[in-house]
Amino acid sequence: MCLAIPGKIIEIKKNQQATADFNGIEKEINISLVEVKKGDYVIVHAGFAIEKIGKADAESIKSLIK
Amino acid sequence: MLVWFLLKEVVILNIAMAKNNTIELEMGAGGKKSNELISEIRKNFKVHGRWKNTADDGATYDLGKEKLVFTTDAFIVDPLFFPGGDIGKIAICGTINDLAVMGAVPIGISLSLVIEEGFPQSDLEKIMASIGKISKETGVPIVTGDTKVTEKGKIDKIEITTSGVGMAQKIISNGGAKPGDVVISSGDLGEHAVALLATRFNYKTKIKSDCQPILKEIQSIRNYLTSAKDPTRGGIAEVLNEIAGKSKVKIILEEKNLPFKKETVALSELLGIDKFAFPSEGRFVGTVPQKQAQKVLKILQKFNKEAKVIGRVEHGKGLYLSTNLGSQKLIEMPRGKLIPRIC
Amino acid sequence: MSSESENILKKIWQEAVQIGRPLRFMELCGTHSQTIAANGLKSLMPRNIKLIAGPGCPVCVTDQSDVDVMVGLALGGIPIAVYGDAVNVPGNIMSLEQARQKGADVNIVYSVEEAMRLKNSNPGLVFFGLGFETTAPMTAWAVKNGLVVYSAHKIFPPAMAVLMANKKIKVNGFINPGHVSAIIGTEIYKKFKIPQVIAGFEGLDILRAINLLLEQILSGKAEVSNEYTRVVRKNGNAKAQKLIEDVFEIGDAKWRGLGLIKKSGLKIRKKYQKQDAEFIYKDLIKKIKAEIKSKPSACQCGRVLQGMIEPRECPLFGKICTPDNPQGACMVSVEGSCNIEYRYGKK
Repeated sequence: MCLAIPGKIIEIKKNQQATADFNGIEKEINISLVEVKKGDYVIVHAGFAIEKIGKADAESIKSLIK
Repeated sequence: MLVWFLLKEVVILNIAMAKNNTIELEMGAGGKKSNELISEIRKNFKVHGRWKNTADDGATYDLGKEKLVFTTDAFIVDPLFFPGGDIGKIAICGTINDLAVMGAVPIGISLSLVIEEGFPQSDLEKIMASIGKISKETGVPIVTGDTKVTEKGKIDKIEITTSGVGMAQKIISNGGAKPGDVVISSGDLGEHAVALLATRFNYKTKIKSDCQPILKEIQSIRNYLTSAKDPTRGGIAEVLNEIAGKSKVKIILEEKNLPFKKETVALSELLGIDKFAFPSEGRFVGTVPQKQAQKVLKILQKFNKEAKVIGRVEHGKGLYLSTNLGSQKLIEMPRGKLIPRIC
Repeated sequence: MSSESENILKKIWQEAVQIGRPLRFMELCGTHSQTIAANGLKSLMPRNIKLIAGPGCPVCVTDQSDVDVMVGLALGGIPIAVYGDAVNVPGNIMSLEQARQKGADVNIVYSVEEAMRLKNSNPGLVFFGLGFETTAPMTAWAVKNGLVVYSAHKIFPPAMAVLMANKKIKVNGFINPGHVSAIIGTEIYKKFKIPQVIAGFEGLDILRAINLLLEQILSGKAEVSNEYTRVVRKNGNAKAQKLIEDVFEIGDAKWRGLGLIKKSGLKIRKKYQKQDAEFIYKDLIKKIKAEIKSKPSACQCGRVLQGMIEPRECPLFGKICTPDNPQGACMVSVEGSCNIEYRYGKK
């Protein structure tokens, strides 16, 4: 199922893992498919970040979804 | 060789089985299949005399000036301890709330425990203390009970059943919603589900279970409610469909006024589980006449500032969502499989 | 209603009137079908625009024989890990959920990482690799990290070619999958000479996409537009593509309902044989396949998946076939056309 909510990278961990914040739900995700740093927003599918998304776009999606 | 034999056996077995005749997990989770199971079970029993059970949260016994209300619930929760509560808290709040949404003041609760051999005494202490705390706060006593211990493996840790008795001047029915009424929620919904699912799936969040007694809140607006239910198992998808069905009305929720925090929406999307089916254990939804709405909200917001109007009642049938794009979408009775062992 | 969605709807109606003739747009992604249903978009469309669901639900197009293999392995004592919905898809005999009820060790996971954690306590675990190019990179990553996989992964464009070649379908435009495109990029679709728009997953995204399709039709174009630019880049995700390329090779694959489509499946390369369940359990799988006979069924999934008939035109719909008792994959998955029609359609 395709996830539309962008996650914000709040911590990069080892082994290609990162903690992402999805509107207040924090989840460990795999970032081996993307190049990201803390503060970037990503689209996640089945536990993996598949693409980065710009901050402005992320913010507008987040507000649409509430 | 063995594998092959196994496969053949199963193939023959399956072909021979004309119909699935065992209880499925889905039947206990609330929703359509649960209701079907309950109907099947009830075929064996007849409610008669001054007892009435309209498949509401409890049964009523007519005493003339007042009615006695009687309810029961079994609790199997995983995990037993979660942010905002534990199985004990849910058990006692669940029964107090079931009586409250029927308009009754609880007068006593029974507590029955089935405990697995090897269960830690300290955990049992914590759970009983939770129950004791709520009992003290609400003034509702635990008056009787039973305790059994089974051998290891025969039950998963602990199961709690609470039954409750209450008195009501007037029953708040589920079938009393009228066209023109508005639908109110006593606060944001689904946070019990969020707390449990987050714990189960290892997500971090500030959201705690909303488990609490709602007796005072309901009592404060009891006379204005034309219907009320606490959206536990099955969430508002289940209870609002029930109210719409029993009241023979159409209920329309407004997408822009939905009572869900952003965390609740996010978790719903992350897990692919419908947020309308998320249980709450300390909230209620109900209908009040349009002209009483503001007064009711003012009172409810003293308890929870997130209380609000979430929809309206019209002629017709079914539960719908009026989307931000202007369309109306049907909200179905939930399919049971969703969230096992959450309440 | 936001002013943007109001404006776009207005435009859609104006353009539809201008074009006049009936138009059929097919969305190719199961999640798009969900978005359309959840937002009641069909009820907002002008009468001459029809939205039909294509074979974009990866669970729905998983062939019975692949389910049979996994069921056979599971009943044979091999622990299985699988993504959610797939557990209810009926094979020729039963689904993985039914196998679980009979005692098989079937585990639902939300990611390959979960499957890998399970493998630590169940070394013989086999993961059911399902999905299109969106989930293939994760499976590829997991194969490289030691997970044993039975791959039923598929790639999307060959199915589009089949749909376009089928004269009975009469599609005037495609709404292309969002996240598949995030992986494979936009260029690969250019070989299909038909209006296409890659769309995001909000109701507004779909409305914008429909508007773009109508604009193309009005100007006689047949291009690939990208409405989901915030996520989809022209060249897609190179890292993900490399991973797929490294671990998988393209082979023929059976699609439920569509039959065999050449060069549409992803099979694990020889160099990763040790992670390939098809290789490890070669003999057992052969026996399973030989013994299973295709069950004749009145299920019309194949025709529904290609948009040839509506779910309600299937003789089983709503009678024997319901979400509680699905006869075919379209009714099993929450992204399946029949399931969506049953839950959201007019009653």
